[in-house]
Amino acid sequence: MATLVTLPSLPPTWTAPSDSASSISPLVQRRLIPAGAAYLAHVKRTLNNITFEQYDEQ
Amino acid sequence: MPPNGIIPNGTAEAPIDVSAVPSIVGINFGNSYASIAEGLAECIANEDGERQIACAIAFHGEEMYIGNQAKHQLVKNSQNTITGFRNLLGKKFSEVPQAALSVSAPVIQHPSLPDTAAYKVKVLQPAPSPLPATAANTPAASQVATPRSEPIEAERILTVSEVTTIFLGSLVQSAEDFLGKKVLGAVISVPSWFDDAQREAVIQSAEDAGVHVLQLLDDAGAVTVCDAAGSDEIPSDRTQLIVDLGASSLELSLLSIREGLTYSLASLSDSSVGGDEIDSKLIKFFAKEFTKKTRTPLTVAPASDPIDKRAEAKLRLAVEHTKRTLSASPGAATCSVESLKDGLDYTGSINRLRFDMEVRQIYNKVYAKVKELVASAGIDLYDVDEIVYIGGSACLPGLDETLVEGFTENIITPFKAGTVVGGGSGDPTTILARGCALQAQLLVSLASETEEVRQAFIKGNGTSSVSATGRTIGLLVPQVSAADGGLGGVWVPLILKETPLPCRRTITAEVDVSESGDKVGFEFWEVNEGVRIDHVKPQTFEDEEDEEEEELEEVKEKTISKEAFLASLSLSPSNIIKGKAKVQVQAIIGSNGAVDLSIREVMKDGLGEAVTVIVGSS
Ligand SMILES: Nc1ncnc2c1ncn2[C@@H]1O[C@H](COP(=O)(O)OP(=O)(O)OP(=O)(O)O)[C@@H](O)[C@H]1O
Ligand SMILES: [Mg+2]
Repeated sequence: MATLVTLPSLPPTWTAPSDSASSISPLVQRRLIPAGAAYLAHVKRTLNNITFEQYDEQ
Repeated sequence: MPPNGIIPNGTAEAPIDVSAVPSIVGINFGNSYASIAEGLAECIANEDGERQIACAIAFHGEEMYIGNQAKHQLVKNSQNTITGFRNLLGKKFSEVPQAALSVSAPVIQHPSLPDTAAYKVKVLQPAPSPLPATAANTPAASQVATPRSEPIEAERILTVSEVTTIFLGSLVQSAEDFLGKKVLGAVISVPSWFDDAQREAVIQSAEDAGVHVLQLLDDAGAVTVCDAAGSDEIPSDRTQLIVDLGASSLELSLLSIREGLTYSLASLSDSSVGGDEIDSKLIKFFAKEFTKKTRTPLTVAPASDPIDKRAEAKLRLAVEHTKRTLSASPGAATCSVESLKDGLDYTGSINRLRFDMEVRQIYNKVYAKVKELVASAGIDLYDVDEIVYIGGSACLPGLDETLVEGFTENIITPFKAGTVVGGGSGDPTTILARGCALQAQLLVSLASETEEVRQAFIKGNGTSSVSATGRTIGLLVPQVSAADGGLGGVWVPLILKETPLPCRRTITAEVDVSESGDKVGFEFWEVNEGVRIDHVKPQTFEDEEDEEEEELEEVKEKTISKEAFLASLSLSPSNIIKGKAKVQVQAIIGSNGAVDLSIREVMKDGLGEAVTVIVGSS
């Protein structure tokens, strides 16, 4: 679901920061509650190893 | 619903052959009250018109009462009235807390089954009917008609499971009478702290009552399902607090909800707060009033004298109505008891203001527990976006009023939204049964899915464990003239911390590109979020000459700071309309933590070429 936001453009003087992290912060382990349509969709994607895009096309 | 679908799971090995449209229900099986719902329909009332059905069974003579009628037997026939059985399910006799044995029929060791909890009640069994008179030439014993023999007093031993089976059977029977069709299966809610033995016992008792259990759903799961079906004014990524105030306990859970996927961040339960305690305060108030009016002493909660005990039991039944009136309206609510003591009737009243004063301590206790829970998850009350209430006692508006004080002023609650009364979507007394009924529909629709998918709805199955993000990721458009203290530009959070993976978030941004050559682009950052608490002197007015030590006021503010720069993306827009370009920004994080970022310009006829960058897995 796409939300619409309004943003300024990049300043002409902008340059990308040079140091970038190689990965995001460590992940945490949790247990999903097996309920609802979103969980069903998650399970189907995970079990069948399909991407969001492939899932959308189904 | 597929007309010939098989029942998807639970005890999936023995699928029921569904030949007609199946009737599948949701059951909220509390320790004190239960309710049942079907499909999108509201909770179903039993023959007595009640939607909250007391978990009570009473034996009186040859009669067996179930539900609220049984509760009335607590006044004169408490020894044969069974309550509080749900929490004993799946427990051995040696594990039953002695404190649990209170007003109703005592829990005993079953006479023949080892270490099994049971109830012993007195019943009247119909006498065996007299032998029919035989042929005429039999030597007549007597010309006098055989007197109808009296029913025989007998003892009946019922295990906790048997009691549950009787109760669930009657609940489902009421639903069948209402629906006019057989109930084939159910989703039943259970507290998250129920262990495997307790869950197994619920399933067994239900199956013994002829109800196939599709799934035992944690209370929080039932709420999730209801929510997902609810309004779109609520952000789809949020932190939710569930406050469940029942009769004998308070259950709190803090949940991360991300586009319908839910998990628990922390939970807590406390059996020293609940409706029973509220009742105690209220009946003490009325007992005092009674004594004032009639000059008849009456000591209740606790009562020691048997006459006072009976008066207390009567008052406990009566305040049930008083509390419901108080929840529904702020005006005076009455409490009437015939022959409360010494043959004296009593009618008293209390309004919500006074009532809230009487039970303030209980509200405060809940508030203290809420703070404890949120702190245990390492976050602040200000990080909570929504409160949902479950349980009869959570209908009281005074509770919500007390709690919201500590949260941000934007906190979403069903009282604010006006969805509590009139069977609204936020009604705490029906939310569990409705959630279970909706989940039941979803499970029925799984008939065409693989066995693996269906198994994923059974607790303990591996698919429910998931990796989630530890920090919020968003986009930043740096600005030369950015105000101090912020991140140095315009910040838009994309993927919040505690988002289960894999996940995808997409936003469309309209960007001002007044100068030609302006670039559209973003930096992607991981951030640290927090809440800063300042203690400031409250504003005082000149003429207020209060020499007392001024109490400092707590002022809270959400804070945000940069943790790590991940990547940046930019493009030169080609489709500029009235000085604005439109881009779609997408972030996908795989289950290994790899981040896939992309922007595309929104063109006249679809999306432009994607500019992408990938941040490695963690
Ligand atoms: N409208 C109402 N206003 C105030 N209190 C109510 C209302 N409806 C029910 N109650 C109270 O709520 C309690 C029952 O709550 P609930 O049905 O959630 O119980 P439960 O989950 O079975 O209880 P337990 O905490 O024992 O497991 C009772 O104390 C009852 O008096
Ligand atoms: Mg409850």
